[in-house]
Amino acid sequence: MAMGLSLIFGVLEIVNFAHGEFYMLGAMIAYFLVARLHVGYWPMIAGVTLAVAALGVVLYEALLASVRGRSFERSILLTLGVSMVLQNGAIALWTTTPRMVETEYAYTNVTAGGIRIPLLRVFALALAAAAFAALFTVLHRTRIGKAMRGLAQNPDAALMVGIDPRAVSRLAGAIGIGLAGLAGAALAPIYSVHPTMGFAFVFKAFAVIIVGGLGDVRGAAIAAVALGVVESFVAGFFPLILVDAVAFVAMILFLLFRPAGLFGRGVRV
Amino acid sequence: MGRIDRRLPIALLLVWLGAVTPAGAQEPIHIGSSIPITGGVAFFGQHSRWGTELAIAEANAAGGVLGRKIEVNFQDNRCNPAEAVKSVTQMLGEKKYVAMLDGLCSGVVLAIMPLIERAQIPLVVANASATAVAEKSGAGGNKWTFKVNPTDASLAEAMVAWLAKEGKIANIAFLGEDTDFGRSGMLGFQSALGRRGQKLASTDFYQQGTADFTAVFTKLRAQKPASLALYAIAADFQNLIRQYHSFGVGIPLTGRVLSDQIPKEILASGALDGTSSVQPYTPEVETAGNKAFVAAFQKMHGNPPNLLSYMSYETTRVLLDAIKRAGKADPAAIRDALEKTKLSSLLGDEIEFDKNNLAHKNAVILTIKNGQIVVLGLSRT
Repeated sequence: MAMGLSLIFGVLEIVNFAHGEFYMLGAMIAYFLVARLHVGYWPMIAGVTLAVAALGVVLYEALLASVRGRSFERSILLTLGVSMVLQNGAIALWTTTPRMVETEYAYTNVTAGGIRIPLLRVFALALAAAAFAALFTVLHRTRIGKAMRGLAQNPDAALMVGIDPRAVSRLAGAIGIGLAGLAGAALAPIYSVHPTMGFAFVFKAFAVIIVGGLGDVRGAAIAAVALGVVESFVAGFFPLILVDAVAFVAMILFLLFRPAGLFGRGVRV
Repeated sequence: MGRIDRRLPIALLLVWLGAVTPAGAQEPIHIGSSIPITGGVAFFGQHSRWGTELAIAEANAAGGVLGRKIEVNFQDNRCNPAEAVKSVTQMLGEKKYVAMLDGLCSGVVLAIMPLIERAQIPLVVANASATAVAEKSGAGGNKWTFKVNPTDASLAEAMVAWLAKEGKIANIAFLGEDTDFGRSGMLGFQSALGRRGQKLASTDFYQQGTADFTAVFTKLRAQKPASLALYAIAADFQNLIRQYHSFGVGIPLTGRVLSDQIPKEILASGALDGTSSVQPYTPEVETAGNKAFVAAFQKMHGNPPNLLSYMSYETTRVLLDAIKRAGKADPAAIRDALEKTKLSSLLGDEIEFDKNNLAHKNAVILTIKNGQIVVLGLSRT
């Protein structure tokens, strides 16, 4: 989720406040695919990711393209508005009843060294690692990835060398929002699914990408894992209520002392 | 003089028209309700709203109250006291509401109590369970607040009394949301245990909207408490129960375990066998009134009721009964009528308010046995 947010910021220069709602939409679609159409876990993951990526294309063409590279404030207001419409639209359509996504792996656990781990969490971890590896490969080993990085680093120069900014931005939007959909699909069978579920996640994702360095996909992935470990440590040895403060204290500290993020580079994506 | 003569028949006609206007065409009686429609506990707000809507629909279908339709204006407070103050202030400013219903969250109710007291409009609380609401009402100072649901202290006392009878009050850990609900539940448990020479083994609070409880379950498993008193609601509860099952936590649960919201697969697995819970309500109670309510609710909303929908339904009935007995849609008359309430509840007990404007309804003690929810009995709160 944080990688997608970081990618969109890096290429489109848009802070997508609606990112959590695409995560929620991914989880909702997962629920309907599994509960109503009885689709299996892996086809559901693929279907949701593609469906939400397609929504990303629609979002880019319908709204984001008009604000890209223009007023930063306008993009914030626009994505906040999209977030409200999506969240309240979901409440109106599906009500706020929390739902459970019961896949074929719902109650399967793996035991390693006396520790019981739900299989779905292992899959979610593997999917996150695979998504990071795939995105990293695309960004660093393919022409389209180089075009994205070129656009992020210098839009004018990218245009001069023949990169189509609209096509590249559209693809970045689709991948970024598709990653939110993938997160929704992977976590829907683990957490309860409801229209307001994206709210808490997106704010933590913002803290993660600030710590990782705005627009730095690798930084976002490393910051997410590091914050997860620190949060677990805090929850285990200190009052649980302090857990949510960890990400935001880290964010404030980074903004004060290392505003460029973990790797401190000026280069995005 | 001639002009007066011409006006007189028109005035008489208007008076006659007013006299023959059907009841349904009169100005409805307006009730305000500030509840969470969005936000982390929107699911509970929705059930509260559904319960009220059923009671209102039944009353309106029977010809309304005092020959007038009842209308409830629901405003969103996101379970946030500041937003509740805003929405209630706005409603009170309109000066058309004869009473306010619920608020749902304890922090919200405590925040709006001074407002309704200043405006002299009765507030009838259905779901906020903080003991402080009752302590500050009636003889406690605020004559305009009435509380139909039991307090956290009385529910905790009922639960601990049962645990004591079973010899299970030693080494109880506590996990609850960081709200007035969770904090009040912890205080209720702590004092009920204290009266029996025990204390909580540990206390943990989490932020509303927390999705992952892995770390706290790991910690609790290492601590090995005899049982875990749980005060969680809505989506947080679903996440907690699911992760409790996934990680095989195995510590028997107690407190306010929302048995009607446990996924049936987890319930049937037997993982929660030995759980005990105290609730103001469960759909499993076998009284004729409750069965009719469950069927009507299911028919109207397509979902079974939960304790929120029940409490809001029952509380709306209490308010409508008071308006009827008051004989006029006047806030002061309704307040006086509320004080004299004597109404049979769906659970078979009588709803009456004490000197703190608190009704002492029956609480339901439940357990889970062989993957089934079993009602152990009703306990006066």
